[in-house]
Parts: sequence; structure tokens; C-alpha cells
Amino acid sequence: MDRQQEFVLRTVEERDIRFVRLWFTDVLGQLKSVAIAPAELEAAFSEGIGFDGSAIEGLTRVTESDMIAKPDPTTFQSLPWRGDRGGAARMFCDILTPDGEPSHADPRYVLKRALNKASDLGFTFYTHPEIEFYLFEPFADPTEPLVPVDQGGYFDHVARGNGHDFRRATITMLESMGISVEFSHHEAGPGQNEIDLRYADALTTADNIQTFRTVVKEVALEQGLFASFMPKPLAEHPGSGMHTHLSLFEGDRNAFHEPGAQYQLSKVARSFIAGLLVHAQEISAITNQHVNSYKRLWTGAEAPSYVCWGHNNRSALVRVPMYKPSKGQSSRVEYRALDSAANPYLAFAVLLAAGLKGVTEGYELPDGAEDDVWELTNAERRALGIDPLPTSLDRAVTIMEGSELVAETLGEQIFDFFLRNKRQEWAGYRAQVTPYELRRYLPVL
Amino acid sequence: MTSRFAPSTARRLIRAGFGDVARTERLLADPALRSVLPDLAEPDDDVLAAFAVAADPDLALLTLARLAGAVEPASSELLARVWGDVEARARLLAVTGASAALGNALVARPADLEILADDAPGTGVVAVAVREELLVAVGADPRAGEPVATAEDATSRMRRAYRARLLRIAASDLAAGDPGQVMPAVGAALADLAGAALEAALAIARAEVGGAGAARLAVIGMGKTGGRELNYVSDVDVVYVVEPGRGVSEDEAIAVGTRLATALAAACSATGTEPALWPVDAALRPEGKNGPLVRTLDSHRSYYERWAKGWEFQALLKARPVAGDVEVGTAFTELVAPLVWSAAGRENFVEDTQAMRRRVVDTIPAGEADAQIKLGPGGLRDVEFTVQLLQLVHGRADESIRSANTLEALAALSAGGYVGREHAARFAECYRFLRVLEHRVQLHQLRRTHLMPSAEPELRRLARAAGMRAEGAAGLVERWRQVRREVRALHEAIFYRPLLPATAQLAPEEVALAPEAARARFAAIGYRDPDGAIRHVAALTEGVTRRAAIQRQLLPVMLGWFAEGTDPDAGLLSFRKLSEQLGTTHWYLKLLRDSGVAAQRLARVLSTSRYVAEALVGSPEAVAWFDDDAELTPPPAERLHSEGRALLARAPSAQAAATALRALRRRELARTSAAQVLEVLDARGAAEAVTDAADVVLAGVLEAAVDEVRRERGLDVAPSTMLVVAMGRLGGREMGFVSDADVMFAHEPAPGVGEEEAQDFATAVAALVRSLAGGLGPEPPLEVDADLRPEGRNGPLVRSLASYTEYYARWASTWERQALLRARHVAGSHELWARFAELVDPVRYPAGGLDEGEVREIRRIKARVESERLPRGVPRARHLKLGPGGLADVEWTAQLLQLRFAGTAPELRTTSTLGALDAAAEASLLDPGDARTLSEAWLLAAQLRDALVLWSGRASTAHADQLPHDRRALLGVARLLGRESGGELEEEYLRAARRARAVVERVFYD
Repeated sequence: MDRQQEFVLRTVEERDIRFVRLWFTDVLGQLKSVAIAPAELEAAFSEGIGFDGSAIEGLTRVTESDMIAKPDPTTFQSLPWRGDRGGAARMFCDILTPDGEPSHADPRYVLKRALNKASDLGFTFYTHPEIEFYLFEPFADPTEPLVPVDQGGYFDHVARGNGHDFRRATITMLESMGISVEFSHHEAGPGQNEIDLRYADALTTADNIQTFRTVVKEVALEQGLFASFMPKPLAEHPGSGMHTHLSLFEGDRNAFHEPGAQYQLSKVARSFIAGLLVHAQEISAITNQHVNSYKRLWTGAEAPSYVCWGHNNRSALVRVPMYKPSKGQSSRVEYRALDSAANPYLAFAVLLAAGLKGVTEGYELPDGAEDDVWELTNAERRALGIDPLPTSLDRAVTIMEGSELVAETLGEQIFDFFLRNKRQEWAGYRAQVTPYELRRYLPVL
Repeated sequence: MTSRFAPSTARRLIRAGFGDVARTERLLADPALRSVLPDLAEPDDDVLAAFAVAADPDLALLTLARLAGAVEPASSELLARVWGDVEARARLLAVTGASAALGNALVARPADLEILADDAPGTGVVAVAVREELLVAVGADPRAGEPVATAEDATSRMRRAYRARLLRIAASDLAAGDPGQVMPAVGAALADLAGAALEAALAIARAEVGGAGAARLAVIGMGKTGGRELNYVSDVDVVYVVEPGRGVSEDEAIAVGTRLATALAAACSATGTEPALWPVDAALRPEGKNGPLVRTLDSHRSYYERWAKGWEFQALLKARPVAGDVEVGTAFTELVAPLVWSAAGRENFVEDTQAMRRRVVDTIPAGEADAQIKLGPGGLRDVEFTVQLLQLVHGRADESIRSANTLEALAALSAGGYVGREHAARFAECYRFLRVLEHRVQLHQLRRTHLMPSAEPELRRLARAAGMRAEGAAGLVERWRQVRREVRALHEAIFYRPLLPATAQLAPEEVALAPEAARARFAAIGYRDPDGAIRHVAALTEGVTRRAAIQRQLLPVMLGWFAEGTDPDAGLLSFRKLSEQLGTTHWYLKLLRDSGVAAQRLARVLSTSRYVAEALVGSPEAVAWFDDDAELTPPPAERLHSEGRALLARAPSAQAAATALRALRRRELARTSAAQVLEVLDARGAAEAVTDAADVVLAGVLEAAVDEVRRERGLDVAPSTMLVVAMGRLGGREMGFVSDADVMFAHEPAPGVGEEEAQDFATAVAALVRSLAGGLGPEPPLEVDADLRPEGRNGPLVRSLASYTEYYARWASTWERQALLRARHVAGSHELWARFAELVDPVRYPAGGLDEGEVREIRRIKARVESERLPRGVPRARHLKLGPGGLADVEWTAQLLQLRFAGTAPELRTTSTLGALDAAAEASLLDPGDARTLSEAWLLAAQLRDALVLWSGRASTAHADQLPHDRRALLGVARLLGRESGGELEEEYLRAARRARAVVERVFYD
């Protein structure tokens, strides 16, 4: 047993933890949890916990349902919301096949594989997400009009607003779980909030995002509210994105930074951005995985609908933030299409793969966009070589189907499952007759 | 002048072993040397005889001259005294003749000559005395529980004391008559000395680290130190264990212990005024270099219980407390012992040890393969590994064989009946020989090396130092090679021979394992059913027949080879079946015994492919080919055809002819499958060979059937000429081991014969062809499938050429055109085929290509086939034939291109799928990249189907059409295809198929 595991066992003992939740994520990004008693912990470390994977989305092939969840002791954290005494804790797990090989259907393994590729090139990958979400009054029926908890706008201080308390409680809880929060504020939509997590290596960040979603939902419940990460819950208000800042490090050195270069961007950074742009359409079904995601992407209001980059251009898909002279280490690029409902493991894996492809193949970065690309005409955008992101999940899935990059990054089995699942989602959506259609057509047709 | 009775000085010098006479004479005349050792001026026979014992007399004399030149008056007297004492002189010459490094040290510090003057031995000294010697040297109290160094400059003193004793050990070693005999004692003395040095270094560390009492530190010797079999220059492997002193917290003890261990290592290996001793290597500790340097007993326990891998237990087998706190050290060995001795029962033990063994044999740095004494097959590591593995397997039940010392363990294994006495003795002898070589090579420069020198003078010195003066350099190299070969052979003999049962009439000095031990050993090498294995071995080897006697020679090594395959149990069982069938033939066992490769190939084939195993049991004579690649290579089609004709001519009846032809095919299937498993033949070659065999059967059977029907009807001349057209995979020459033969029958009435009579005759012939080839019989059938004929099963089995003409003129549907693309002659009249081809060529290669409606029709049929033909419950992507990107996808794509363009591009007129794709790319009708993607996917799917049949031995096509889910099946198939991991193979196929499907979507459907 290594020190981390000893630490876990000791902590469980000292804090009187009664349940340890073993967390893992299915292919669609849904968090799954198995609770075990502390007595089973040692066995879980040495052999893992067996479970029937056939019921879990995309996790296994039909005929081979036995899977093993093996907890990663470095992710141990006690869960603050489960009362005071006799608390609970969680660890993230790796999913293994019965003969102990990593499962090709485990999203965490997909990201680990991608990170290993980067590390073969000498890079570590850091991410820093800005997660947006809405707070609503509780509802019984999701088709009734939603009631946001306040009517504030961007950066508004809402006096004694629920959101304010809510953010404070959330941040306190996150910090108590060792997840550092960089920044938080009220967002543009009513009841919409943003909380930015501190940058960390991509695997930790992905784990943190999964924890974050759970914490936000938990706190909302405690306060009698309902939190949602749906990409576009209110047609007339901005959607919830997850702009994510990306950077590569070589050892302690930020590989994106080069003093004196344009925007202090190194050659690595420039080809990384080029990679993101070239492959943006292919990875769209992963970064924006739901029917609803494309309603956020295609309703203006700073949504990054077009494939281009810019220095501090808030309409560009990839934004290079204003450089702070003293902070060479903070050079990074911001990918703005990602939304809050993505599976962070898969999304980070494909973003990394796209960027690295640019680096290894030496893609040339096109000129940056100076204007608000929404203001341009179609013809102007075409003249500038600016392509749109897919306009619907259907389109995104069709494009992804032809992508070697995504297939190789996800592995053939997740790739295949994902495509099938998303085609079903699209088919289910297309079969709907919406209130919009009824209002529009029924009276006149 | 030279007299006849008194040989010249030069000859006497040469006889004494001097290499450079002129220089020797000059040195002997050296005034300084003469003044100290006057008898060297005119050396008498005694003096020369003394030099003759030295490994390198030139080197010894040179060192003496330097000593004489360097010594101060006090030391000259000492040198003279040593020289005057015959035994001391022998020691001096032995040391200076074998080791330049020790000679240099003497020149630098002549006072050490005193050590050589002293006749107290360096070996056979109790460890306590050596410990005391080094502790006293650093001013520590040997009787104290935790001795602390008090001397100034203790590190240098410790190192000097170490080197003084090293010199004493080397002197005893080199002056001993038989180096192999004294080797174990030398190894023990060196290990004790290393332990004493560690103890003194710990005393120094205690003096340097404040509050040292907080940690009770024990130093555990591992590897050769632990086994008390150390060599002269080697890293010293250790593990540190710490327990808190009274009233001290664990954390503090660990902190202090870490500082102590660091200071201890520095005392031994940091640079200083005296050169460092050796690196103290703690890499065998839990978690290796990433783990904490010191751990408590508890921490060790939980690590070993949960995380340790097989090799770590093998390493722990050698653990022995060598310095520091005795109680803690003993507690550690007591802690690990039960873990070590239950390691053989752990999961993955077999895989771990197999991987370890591969590492032992494989890890030789490039370029050193021919010079390594330690690594590689037949090296020291090989001996140690064999002994340790046997200890782990049998030490579970038997405490008597648990010694950490290789030679002791080997003796105990022999005494306990686990290894034959004779084998153990020879193994021990090899081990001693290799160790002596290693010692002598290292002594020369006191460098850590395990390489044989290559230059003649160095080899000569080594031979003389190793007690092989008479044999010389060439004799030494020869002996060394021979020992390496013997070690390899003995590994097999020692490990596998005792698996033969006692009833197998063993020679009296051999052993047979007790049943429990035999079970453990079979399980340890990967047999899943040890009891079954024991039964098979007994059945094969028992009795007094010559057969059993040869099996007793063969089987031990074959047991090892079976264990390298995916299914050792099946391999052994098939071998037994085969041997029972063939045992009485004169050549079988002789071939296996005498051929260099046959037995190993047979073992590989039997343990990796059930299909070949069954094929061999059916065609046992095939074993004879294993000796020769040429025999394994399928014969050219022409030779098979003439053999088929000869069989036909000899056969008394159609039935007999068919049986003989089917036997021929059975034999060729065995040959082809074996050749494919042994990688003598690639997948395309195998497909062609299988097709050739089917061709021969069909050609022969048709002839026999025509004769038979003609005779039955009492006719002199056949009323009609017959033709069999190959279709499908047979037509494409792409058959697998379980493919049916797709054909169409055609005939042409003889002049003046009525249509009806001819048709009746032809139908009878066709029906007979099918039953002769595919009906019941003693030999495996070749199913003949005529469903691709016009109107399928509803149409007549045979048509006349006229009827075909009429049919194709009126009805030819698109799928029939497509099927005809693979039509070629296989049996019957060539003249009729020429006319048939003339008839169908415009159908299959339409001059104007296909019109849009026809193209749409093909696409529609294909789409329907995709959705309807795929069996229920099979994931689409895993179906090798009908799944997306599978065989059918690629074939239809190739065929559509042919139908559209072969009318104008004759190079597309081929029956082969890959040939059509190549031709289409060549003719710029298909992107070359797309052609490659399609070919790769098709070939991999075809290989997978073959491999599935080869692995499982199951002859059903339905089973061979699916990429298996089962992990073992996947691995078995992967091994056959030369891949290491089933999971990777799965990804590889799914990827290839996905890419192919993308091409199909574009090229076929768009």
C-alpha cells in the first residue's frame, strides 16, 4: 500500500467517515456513484470493486458486463454536505476490465491516454474553466415557464440576492473540498451565475468539474433552489457556456509564452490554436454534445459560432486574452465553444488532441479576426475564410463521423457508441412537435 | 652459450609464463630490484616456478620492480621478508599477477605488504570478527548496541580497513589451488566484509546525525549480499527498515532514519580522500526509486501484502539483515518470509515469472551478447533465476530449500528430490565456473564488469587466473561457450525433467517429483490442469519400450515449449494423441529427437492452434515436414494436379478416387495451416494453397463422376461434355480453411445426342460430383455449393451452354452479373470454358458499363443485404463479413467498379478482390489511398477469419465471422497474428473497418 492509500485509510478513520462514494463518469458525462463502507476500502484499493457495467451508458459491450472500478487515492475528498457526524467521502475511479486492463470505454482513460501522448512530446496540459449555470425556483414540471431566482445582469450585485448567498455557500464548500475558485460573479442572464475554477492539470480539472456540478446541485437543493447546466434553458437569455483556458507547459515553463513575439505567443501556441481551428468542426459533437447546445451556439450574444481566433475578440471561437506583462507563465488561449453540459474528460481530450495535431504537423495560424464576426456578411466571412461551427447536433455528428482525430482520441468503441447515441438523440428531437410549431402553424394552417 | 642440459634463460622464462622475454630480462637486471631481492638476478627454478603460478608473470614482475623502486628502507625489509617466506611470496605473486589494481595499491602503500606476510586467511573468518575489525577502525565499540564512530576521519579509516581485508581475501582466493572450490567461501567473505563496512558506515552516520537514537535502523542485504555470495566489485543492494526508538514518534523515526541511511550511503560511496567502496543501491525497496528511502515494518508489510509484484518476492527471497538493529532486521525477515513463500500461489505468478524469464534471457545490451558472463541465455543470471524459481514453487511446502545462497539452495533442492542429483551437481559446477570468471575479470582492475575480454593476452591471463593454465586462452573460451550451452540445457533438464513420473524408468541419479510438487510446478509454468498434464506425461513416458525412452528425452523440453503457447494443456494433449498414433512409426520420434527445429515447431503449433492440432492428428505424416521449410511450403498447383491425376488413374472406383483426392486435400490443409501458424506462409499464400487443393479435388472428382455415370449407363462415349465453373471465393482464389466451393455446372451435348439425354446425363454427373466431394466418407468433405447458378435453387442444377446463352440473353439480373465476375474454369473441358467465357464476358464486363438504374439496383440490394443478412444479436461492427467495412463491403465496392468499367478497361477483368482494387487504382478509377484502405481492411478481416478458425479449431463459418468478445479468444487470435494484446487487435480491426466503410460510403454508394 502506498502513502496515498495509507492517508486515505487514516483520514477515513479519524474523520469517522461512514461511506465512501466511488465516482466514475459514463460516456455522456453523467456522474455515477457506488457507495462502499470503510471496511471495504482496502479491498477496493487492491482489487477494485466489481460492478455490472451493462447498465451504464457506453461503458461496456453487451456480452461482457463485469467491470471493475478502482479508486484513485489521490482524488480522496470528504464530502461536506452529508451532515456533520458520520460523514461521506468520495474518490474518482478508473474503470478496468476483469483482467485488469484499462477499459477502452472509460472516459477518464480516454483523457489519460491523450495526456500521455502530450507527455511523450514533453508537454503537460493545463485547463481553467469558467462554468456558467442558471438558478431557478424549484418547479414540478419542466415544461412550465422557468422562474429565475433574480433579475440581475452581468456583474450585478443583487442585494441580498439568493444568488449571492448561493455563490458564497458554493465557494465555501468547493474550497473545503480543496477545489480553488478563481472568480465568481453574476452573469448576464437572470439567475445566471459564473464560477471560475483555478487552473490545474486537465485530469484534475475534469475531476473538479464533475465535483463542481454535484456541489452546485447540492447547495441549490439545500437552499431550496434548482441549478441547471443546460446549455440554453431560456430562449431569450444567454446560454451557459464553459469557456476554457488552455495552456501547455514544458516542465515549469509555459510553452505558449515567447517574449517579444506577437501577443507573446510562441510558435507552439500558434500552431496549437491552428489545430483547434482546423478541427473545431469535427470535435463539436464532443464539446457541444446536445441538441440544446446548438441553440446556445447560434443565438448571437457573444456565442462563438464561427471558426476564427482573435486577440481579446469576444466573438471569436479562440480568444487570446490580454497579456499581463509580469505573468509570462499565464500565457494561454481560451476556447469558447465548450458548454457546461459537455463530458469534461472527452472534451479536454479532443481539444488537446486537436491542438497537439496542430503542433506536431506544424499547422500555420491564419490571420486573427479583428472585427465582431457576427457583424460581417456571409460573403465577407467567406472571403476571410471563416467557416461556421455546425448548426445542429445532426450536422456535428455527421462531421465527426469522418474524423480520424476524434476516432483515434476516443478509441473506436467510444467513438462508435457516441455516434450511435447522438444519432438517436437527434432522431428523438426531430420527432417532437414543439409549442413553437403549434403557435406558429396551428392557427393558420 | 646454451648447453643441452641447461636451457637458456629465455626458454626458462617462457616456460614460467613470461610473455615479453626481452623486457623481463631487462627488469630482472634492474638495480633497485636486485638490491632488495638479490635472488632475482639469476632466478633459480624455484623462483621461476613461483612466477609460473601467477596469472600474469610479466605484470607481477613489473609490480615487484615498482615496489622495489618505491619502498623506503623499512618497507624494503618488509618486501624482502615477504619474498623470503615461500607462502607469503606465493600470495604476493598471485595478487600482483592477477590484479593490476591491487598491485598499484601496494605500490602506493607498501606497508600493506604486512597483510601478505601474515598467513591468517581471508576466507573462513567469522563475520563477527570482520565486523569488529571495521568498527574498531572507526573508533566504535563493537559491543555497544548502537556503535558510534569516534575516530577523526572515520570514513577514510573505514575504507582503508575495508581494502586491507579485501587484499587478504584476494590473497587467499588467488593463492588457493582450485578457484572453483574456494569460490563459495570467497563470496561469503566478501559479503561479510560488505556487511561489516555497512555497520561501520552506520556508526559513522550515527556520529554525524543528531539524535540518532530516535531511529532503530536495520540494513537488510539483498541480492548477492543477502545470499552471502558477493563478487569483488558490485553494487551492494539494501533495503532500510526503521522502527522508532523508545518514546519517539514514527514520523520522527522515519526522518532520522532517512538521514542515517543517507549518511551511511555517503560513507560508502561519496568521493573522499580514500576512493569510494561501491554504490549502496536501495532500488529494490518498495516502490523502487520513487518510494521513501526508509519505511517501518508496518509500512513494509502493507506494501508487500497489497502491491508487490512477483519479482519483488523473488528479490526478497535473498533478504538478510546485515547491519544495524538486529531485532528490527530479524523482525523484517520474519515478516517477509511467509509472503515470499506464498508468492507462487498469487495471481499472475505465472505471467510474471514468464516475463521475468524473458527479461533474463533478452536483456543484453547490444554488442555485448557474445561477451556477457552474467546476462543472456546461459549466463549467471540464468542459473540464479532457475534456482530461485524452483525455490518459490516448492519452498511453499518445503522449508528445507529456502536458503538465500544459490549453491546451498541448489544442494537442498537436490537433497529434497526436486532436482536430479547429477543435474544439480553439473549446474553447481557451471555456476562456480562462471563466478570464478567474473571474479577474475573484476579483480584485474577492480572494476564492476561482467564482460569477457577479447584480446588474446587478457584471455590468457584470465585462463591462468581461473586455474586453466594448460588450456590457455582458446581452451578458456571454448570451455566458457560449453558452459553456457550446458546451463541452457540444464535449465530445461532441471526444470522439466523431474516432471516425468517415477514409473518412467529414470536413471538412478534422477528424481521424479512427488505428486504435490509436480502439480505445483506444472501450475507455475502455466498449465491450467496440472492433474491432466501429469496423466499425459505418465502415459507418454511409462514403460520399457524404446518409444517411452525417447519420449523421456524429448518431453521435458517440449513441456517448456508448450508452456510458451496460448494453451499449454491443449498442446500437451494433442501431442499425446499424435504420439499414440505415430509412436510405432520409425521416423516420428527420431525426427523430433534429432531435428533442430521440428520438436519446437510442433510444440508451438499444437499449443497455439487447435485447428492445426486436429489437422495433424488427422494427417500425422505431416509432422515430417516440420524439419524443413521447403516441405511446409505448399507445392505448386501443377504438381498437385499431376498427383491428382495419378490418384485417379490408380483408383478402382469413383468412390475410391474421391476418397484419395479428399485425403490429398486434407493433407494440404494441414500443411497450409501449419505453415501459416509457423509464419512460413502469409495469408494470401495460404488462401491460394487452400484454393489449389479444392481445384484438384473438383477436377478429379468430375472426371471420376463422368466415368462412373457413363459406365453405369453402359455407354462407350459420354453423351455430353462437362464444365465446372468456379464462383465466389473459389473463383477468386481466396478460400479460407472452412470455405465451401461455389460452382456452376455447364454441359454441351455431343454431336447427334438428344438434348434431353445429354441433360439427364449431365445432371447425374453434377449430382455425383457434389456427393463425391461433399458426401459422407472417411476423409473430410469439400461442400460443393451451386446456389449462385441462374435462378438459384429453383433453377436446374446443370444447364447446357445453349440454355445459358438463352438465359443470359433474356434474364441476366444485376446480381448474376456480379456473381459472374468471379467465374473461372476449375474442372472439365477447356474448350467449353472458352465458349462459356465468350458468352458471359459481355454479361459481366458490359461494354457500356452499367446504366444508372442498374447501379441503383446494386446499391439497393447491397443495402438490403446489410440490414437483413446480419444475424441477430451480433454487434454490426464486429461482423467480419457483413459488418460495416467488412469483407462484403470491400468486395461489392470492387465488383461495382468492375461492372462499370471492365468493359472498357480490360485490366479490371480479374476474379480476385485485391487484384481488382489494385487494377482500379492503377487505371485511376479509384484513389490509390482508398484502394489501400480497402485492401488493408479486407486483408485484416480475412486474416482474422483464418486465425479464428486456426485458434478455435471450430469449422463453422458463423463462428469465424465475428470478432470475438471473449478475452482469451482475442488473445489467442492476436498471438497468431503476431500481436501482443487482444485489446489492441480489436481497436486495430475496428479502426481499419471504420476507415474502409467511409471509403465504401463514398465510392460505392455515392
